[in-house]
Amino acid sequence: MKPLIASLIFLVAALAQWAGPLWRIYTYEQTLAHGMLIKLKCSAPDPYDPLRGRYLAIQPEQQQIEVPENLRLQEGVSFYAGFDTGDDGLTTLSGVSFTPPEKGESIRLRTRNYVHGSYIWIDWPFERFYLNEKLAPEADLWLAENIRSAQGVIAEVRVLKGKAVLADLSLAGKSFREILKERVK
Amino acid sequence: MSSHHRWLLSQVPEWEREGLIDATSAAALRGRYTDQNTADGSRIGFAQIAMGSLGALLIGNGLIAVIGYNWDEFTRPTRLLFAFLPLLTSQIFSWWVLRRGDGASAWLRETAGLLQSLTTVGCLAIVSQIYNLGGNWPDLLLGWMLLILPLAWVLRAKSVAMLYLIGTAIWPFGQFNAGVAWHASPLIYPLLLAGLLPMWPGWPPKTAPSTWMRWMITPCATVGFCCAASFATYFTSESGYVHVNAEVAAWLCALVVACITLFPLNANGISEALGRKPQVILGALLLLGFGLAATFEDFSDEFDSLIGAFRLPWAWGLLMITAVFSALAVIQKRWAVLAIAMIAMLPLFGGVPGEWQHWLVTLYLAALGIAFIVLEFTGHRGSPRLGATLISLLTIARMADSDFPLLTKGIIFIAVGIAFLVFNLLIIRHGRRSSPVTP
Repeated sequence: MKPLIASLIFLVAALAQWAGPLWRIYTYEQTLAHGMLIKLKCSAPDPYDPLRGRYLAIQPEQQQIEVPENLRLQEGVSFYAGFDTGDDGLTTLSGVSFTPPEKGESIRLRTRNYVHGSYIWIDWPFERFYLNEKLAPEADLWLAENIRSAQGVIAEVRVLKGKAVLADLSLAGKSFREILKERVK
Repeated sequence: MSSHHRWLLSQVPEWEREGLIDATSAAALRGRYTDQNTADGSRIGFAQIAMGSLGALLIGNGLIAVIGYNWDEFTRPTRLLFAFLPLLTSQIFSWWVLRRGDGASAWLRETAGLLQSLTTVGCLAIVSQIYNLGGNWPDLLLGWMLLILPLAWVLRAKSVAMLYLIGTAIWPFGQFNAGVAWHASPLIYPLLLAGLLPMWPGWPPKTAPSTWMRWMITPCATVGFCCAASFATYFTSESGYVHVNAEVAAWLCALVVACITLFPLNANGISEALGRKPQVILGALLLLGFGLAATFEDFSDEFDSLIGAFRLPWAWGLLMITAVFSALAVIQKRWAVLAIAMIAMLPLFGGVPGEWQHWLVTLYLAALGIAFIVLEFTGHRGSPRLGATLISLLTIARMADSDFPLLTKGIIFIAVGIAFLVFNLLIIRHGRRSSPVTP
């Protein structure tokens, strides 16, 4: 390969290696800054990722959603769902469609392997909340104490144009990180 | 370089001096045996690549571990800086190596390529850590593979190419879902594999892949193509569920392996040692395994259901490629390879009455085994040990599904074992008689 062509290909590749993550950062920053806040009640065990360290596996309680009879969804298909917010401020999903609704925000989801009857299983776009290794053991204890409480652990998610970013976890309106830092002290 | 080739190259100047060969023949010999062992046009030793790769792997893994720590006390922009600084540093290093051109040694190119590949995935990983993104690994893997592919081309980094081959062979498994759009499904695997072609520029390529690169490409391509072919068999059942047609998928995989086994070679390629043709070794093993399985009635009964395969463009495409490659094999008189590849066609016996199908497959394999032995003893290039192994396995398989008493089966197994050992001794003696002593 000629040196000039090799250099050009390298420069394009190097730019792409920056552009890929930078574009993701931009879209997630936009979602965090301008997205609608929804609150999901969830359960959360505590595993480990070799590449990205300790995290809490976030599992919203709602794992299924009803689909209209005329909508046939196969496994792995993307779809959009709207929101219903209850008196307690918690959000549940409702209204499934292949295209985003004309009014209001929606979230883009995928169907999981198992589809049954008029309900489908949801593959949520977030499932991890990363932690510092020092905080992780305390997070284990905190979760064990609170996961089955009446209030439950709440996932605060920002949603913009179908994209969802997990912003924080909270208990009784207090940030998860703040609670942990106080406990570690 | 093998000891035989080293010895041969060391003798060339002496032969030239003694007038045994002229200057043209000497140059041709040097070219041939040097090219075979430095097939990509550069003298890259495996040890050099291994050392460079190991160093880059250690540094890269260390960086990923540091990144994975999750520096809670820093702000988001500071943590993002941790992701981009190693990437920038590795890019500057790679640029410096690239500017040195041919002056850059192989291990430097390997180190730069692998290091940049690892810092790229490190950067993607920390961004997803900071924004608590989910673990959709196929998307991350595909993005990573596409971002590092140009490094394999421009740095001629074989470790990056190896990483790409493995990554693109694993990726289709993550996308093996009925609802995945075709452009994000395993069906695009052929395009991903073709992405490596610029590593060997020109048509026909001026250089051939080195032996160990061939040993990487063959299994990865086999896995990737089989995954794509199996994906093409998804169908909706009467109950509305979407399934893979397992029988058709198995046959399409056999056709994929047949195409890989029959992959056309030029005259030099045909004359190469079998060890430099992994597609033939791996293909033969897989197809013989498929053939042996088809000698069992339960397996060959499924041949009847293969009629559904002819609705699939993939089946027609693979049959056409097999036909073209087979015609080339006939022209080049690659009879043994052709006979093995034809095992993939045995399911076409589906039209034969049920109880005869597995016997026809057994007869074909037995004839193949005998032919491999006879060829060797009639002055042709045979493979007597493979032939004997095939016949032994067929005997064992037929014993396994027979109603003979255990005592009879035991005696037959012992007889087959003794016959196999005696045959092996005969082959060793035959080999000593027919080949002169070589240095």
